Amino acid sequence: MRRAKNDILQGTLDLLVLKTLARQGRMHGYAITSHIQRVSAEQLRVEEGSLYPALHRMEQDGLVKAEWGTTEKNRQARFYTLTAAGKKQLESEEATWARLRDGVQRVLRYA
Amino acid sequence: MWWSKVVNVFRGSRVSQDIERELAFHIAEREDELVSGGMAREAARREAQRRFGHAPSLGEATRDADLALWLDTAWRDVRYAARGLRASRGFTLVAILSLALGIGANTAIFSLINAVMLRDLPVKDPQELVVVSMSEDRISEVTNPLWEQIRDGSHPFASVLAYGGMQVNLTDIGEERPADGLWVSGSFFSTLGVGASRGRVLTAGDDVPGCPAMTVVSHGFWQSQLGADPAVVGRTIAFSGKQIEIIGVADPRFTGLEAGRAPAFYIPLCAQPVLSPESGFLQHRSLWFLRVLARLAPPTTLAQANEMLRPASAAWFSNTLPANWSAENQKSYLDNTFHAAESLGELSGLRGTYSGALMVLMAIVAVVLLVACANVANLMLVRAEARQRELAVRVALGAGRGRVVRLLFTEGLLLSIAGATLGIGFAYQGSRLLVRFLETSRDRVFLDLGVDGRVLAFTAGTAVLTALLFGLAPAWRALRIDPQDALKAGGRGVVEARTRFGVGKSLVVAQVALSLMLVTSAALLLGSFRAVAGVDKGFETGGLLIAEANLRWSGLAPEARVELQRQTLARLRAIPGVTAASASWRTPLAPSTWNDEVQAPGVTFAKPEDGMVWVNLIWDGYFSTLGMRLLAGRDYGAVDRAGAAKVAIINETAAKRLFPSRSPVGGTFKIARGNGTSQSFEVVGVVSDAAYRSIREPAAMQLFLPMAQDLEYNSGVEFTLRSPGPPMALRTAVIAALAEMAPRATVSFRELEVQVRDTIRTDRLLATLSLFFGGLALLLAMIGLYGTMSYSVARRRGEIGVRLALGAAPSQVSSGVLGEVTRVLALGSILGLAGVFATTRLVEGFLFGVTPREPFILVGSVLLLGAATLAAGYLPARRASRLNPLEALRQE
Repeated sequence: MRRAKNDILQGTLDLLVLKTLARQGRMHGYAITSHIQRVSAEQLRVEEGSLYPALHRMEQDGLVKAEWGTTEKNRQARFYTLTAAGKKQLESEEATWARLRDGVQRVLRYA
Repeated sequence: MWWSKVVNVFRGSRVSQDIERELAFHIAEREDELVSGGMAREAARREAQRRFGHAPSLGEATRDADLALWLDTAWRDVRYAARGLRASRGFTLVAILSLALGIGANTAIFSLINAVMLRDLPVKDPQELVVVSMSEDRISEVTNPLWEQIRDGSHPFASVLAYGGMQVNLTDIGEERPADGLWVSGSFFSTLGVGASRGRVLTAGDDVPGCPAMTVVSHGFWQSQLGADPAVVGRTIAFSGKQIEIIGVADPRFTGLEAGRAPAFYIPLCAQPVLSPESGFLQHRSLWFLRVLARLAPPTTLAQANEMLRPASAAWFSNTLPANWSAENQKSYLDNTFHAAESLGELSGLRGTYSGALMVLMAIVAVVLLVACANVANLMLVRAEARQRELAVRVALGAGRGRVVRLLFTEGLLLSIAGATLGIGFAYQGSRLLVRFLETSRDRVFLDLGVDGRVLAFTAGTAVLTALLFGLAPAWRALRIDPQDALKAGGRGVVEARTRFGVGKSLVVAQVALSLMLVTSAALLLGSFRAVAGVDKGFETGGLLIAEANLRWSGLAPEARVELQRQTLARLRAIPGVTAASASWRTPLAPSTWNDEVQAPGVTFAKPEDGMVWVNLIWDGYFSTLGMRLLAGRDYGAVDRAGAAKVAIINETAAKRLFPSRSPVGGTFKIARGNGTSQSFEVVGVVSDAAYRSIREPAAMQLFLPMAQDLEYNSGVEFTLRSPGPPMALRTAVIAALAEMAPRATVSFRELEVQVRDTIRTDRLLATLSLFFGGLALLLAMIGLYGTMSYSVARRRGEIGVRLALGAAPSQVSSGVLGEVTRVLALGSILGLAGVFATTRLVEGFLFGVTPREPFILVGSVLLLGAATLAAGYLPARRASRLNPLEALRQE
C-alpha cells in the first residue's frame, strides 16, 4: 500500500508527521498539528481534514502505532508512536524530500 | 496491509467509535486553545468545528479503508436505495418488469441448454464413463454378438454396459398405449452405480441366456402407471401382452442416459426371446441396436484404454463376421476397430436436433436483455437527471463521488435482483412451455429442467452484469456532477439540455438498432416458416387420419396376411363418413424410410447416389386418398397379385430421369438386390411428386410398389382414412372395425396434419419465439423512446415556450421533436442494418425459401420500426406543440 513518491502534498504531510513523531516520541493528533505549526513558525498549517486520514493510513501501513491514553488535562486521546518500519520510511522520505528540494532549487536558480 | 482490514471486520464498530472519539478530542483541544486566546466558548466551538472542515465527510474518508464499515455503509445504501425505489413506484415497476422479461428469457433458454447439453448424467462419477463406438466422429451402435465379444473379451475398462431402445404396448387390445424402455446388459446398473429404491436392480447374474422375463421400472413409471404401489416388487405387468415380473424400482434420481428421454423400464437383453420370439435378434450379426458405454479403470487414461482397445477389437470382429455378406462388405467389416470417446452428451438425439436452434435463441434473448438494459439505463438516467439537485447537494455536503456512484449501483443491483427473482419465475413457466414445442406426437420429451447450481449461477451472473451495464451511464453522469453548476442551474438549463441528452439518445439509438436486428431475424424466420409450411407437399394434409395397426398376423401364411389387409381395408371403407381409404407401409414424412438403387436401360447416373430412389408399399386408392394426382397409366387393382408380373408406379421426377426419351408407362427398370442380383419392374403408372422424408428437400425419385405383391412383408400397416369431419372422430369406428377383422388387433392414431407439423417444429419454434422476442424488444424500444422524448420535451418547456411566444407555429415545434425522433431512427436503422449484415450467417442455416438479405424483409422491418418509433414519438411531439407559452414561461 505504498503511495507513489511524487505525490508531493501527501508525501510531505507524511514526512512532517513522521519527523515530528521521531523527534517528540509519543504524541496525539492535536499535539502533532500544534507542533508542526509552532516549529515551522506558523508557515505550515496542517489541515485537520488531512491529518487523521493520514494517521490512520500510516497506522494501517504499520508506520505508526496508536493507543488510547490520558492527556495532562485528563482527556482521553489517541497517542501515536513511530514503529521501526516508520523510521525506515522516514529516512527514505527525507532523502526523497532532499532530492526534490535540490531539484526545485536548481531549476529556480538556472531556469 | 490486507489482514488489518480483515481484523477490522471483527472490531468494526470499535474502529468507528475510535475515530469519533479521536475527532471529538481534537475539536475539544482546539476549542480550549481558542478560548484561552480570548474567544467566547460558543464561538470557539463553532470555529473549532469549522476549521476541522466537514467532520462527517472526514470520518468517511478516514473510515473508508475498513471492510466492516464498507459493509455497514453498503447496508445503509441498500436501505436508502430501497426507500428511493419505493418512492417512485412507476419507474420501479417498469424497470423490474423489463429486467424480469429479459433475465427470465435468458434463464429459460439457458435452462434448456443446460438440460440438453450441459447437465451431467445422473450417475456415479459420470466423468469416468466413456462411449465405445466403431466410428470416431459419431456414436455407432453394435450388434448383440459384438457386444458379447466386448463383454467377455479382454477390454481395458473397469466394466462395460450395453443398452438399446425398445417400445412396448401397455394394452393388449384396441388403441395402443406405448411405453419406451431399454434393453440393458446385466452390468448396466452396477457400471452406472445406480441402485434401487425398492426391490433390487438387475445384476450380471440375471443376464444369462434363457433367463425369465423380468424388469426394473423407473421411479416415474412406478408413480404414474403403477399407482406408487408399495408392494410392487413381485407383481407382474403386461408388456405387449407378455407377463413380466417387476423386480425393483430404480433410484428416483436416475432418469436415463439421454437428455430428452426417460425410459420407463429396463429389461435384461437375455429376456428378448421371451418378448418377441420370432425375430431372434440376439444372434443376428447385422442388427445394430446396442450402444456400449464403459467405465474407465483409473489410473488408466482414455488414451491408454484406446491403445489397448484397438488390438483387442480385431478378434471381436473376426469372431462375428456375418456369413451371408458379400466378400467386399466382409472385408470392410473386418477393417473396423473400436474407439472409446468422452462425448457422452452426444448420446442425446435431442442435442443434435436442437443445439443449433437453442444457440440462435440464446443469441436472440441476449439481445432482448441488452435492449431491456438500455431501457432501464434510460429510465435511471432520467431519474438521475431529476435527482441531479439531490445528488449535487449530497456531493456539496461532502459525500464522496465514489459513494454517490455506489448508491446508484446499489439501486441498480436491487432492481436487477428483483428482476432476476421474478425472471426465474417466468423462466420456470417458460422453459416448460418450450419443451412442449420440442415434443412431437410420437416423441414425448423428458427434460430435467430443475433449477440447479449452474442455472442459478447463470441467472445471478446475468443479474449482476445487467446491473453493471445499465448502471454505467447514470454512474458516469454522477461522476461528472459539479455541485456548483447543478445547484445554480436549479435544473432549468436550456443550453446544456443538448449535451445532457447525448447519453440517453445514444441508448435509444442502440435500442432501435438492436430491435431492428431482432425484428429482421424474426421476419426472416417467420418468412421461412411460412415458406416451409406453405410448400406444395404434393398431398392434402387436412382431414386425414392415419391408423397404424398391428393385425397380430404373426401366425398367418404370407398369402393370408395379404388377404387380411385387403379385407380389413374393405371393412374400413364401409365405415360411414369415410370418403376414401387406403393402406400403405408408411405415410408421407413418417420417420421410417426405405431406399433402393434403380437401373434403367440407357440411363447412367453420374454418381451412385443419383440412382437412389425412395420406396413405399401401397394398396389401391392410396393416391386418391392422399390427394395425389395420377398423371399417366393406372392405379393398382385386383390383377396386381402375388405371382403376376411385377409392376410399379413411379413419380414424375423418376419418370423424367429414368425415361427421358420415351413414355414411362410400359417401360421397365431394375432394382439392385444384394449379391449382385436385381429385380425387374414394369411401370404401369406415373404419379405427381410429393414429399417423402422432409418438405425441405427437393423432389426426389420415388417408387410405389403394390403391397399385394410383396409376400415377405411382415411389419405393421398404416391405414389412411379421409373424411369431411374431424379425423379423430373416426377412432371408435376404426377400433371396432379392426376388432371384427382381427380380434386382438392394436392400433395407434395420428393425423397426417400433425405428422407434417412435427417435421417442421424447429422452424415453428424459432419463428414463434423470435416473433415474440422481436415484439418484446420493439415494445421496450418504444417505451425507451417515448420516455426519452417526453422527458426531453418536459425539460425544454422554457425553450419551446419562448419559441412559441416568438411566433413559431405549433407544427414547427412538433416537427422539430419528430425530426429528432427521425434522426434517432435513421442512425439506429443504419447501425441495425449493419448488425443484420454482420450476423445473418447465424440464422442462414435455418432459412428456407428466403435469403438472409431479402430486400423486401429488410425494407419491411425498417418500415415497421419506423412506424413504431414515430408512434412512440408522436405523443411527446403533440404535447410540445400544444404547450401554452405563457404557462411554460411562468413556470421558468
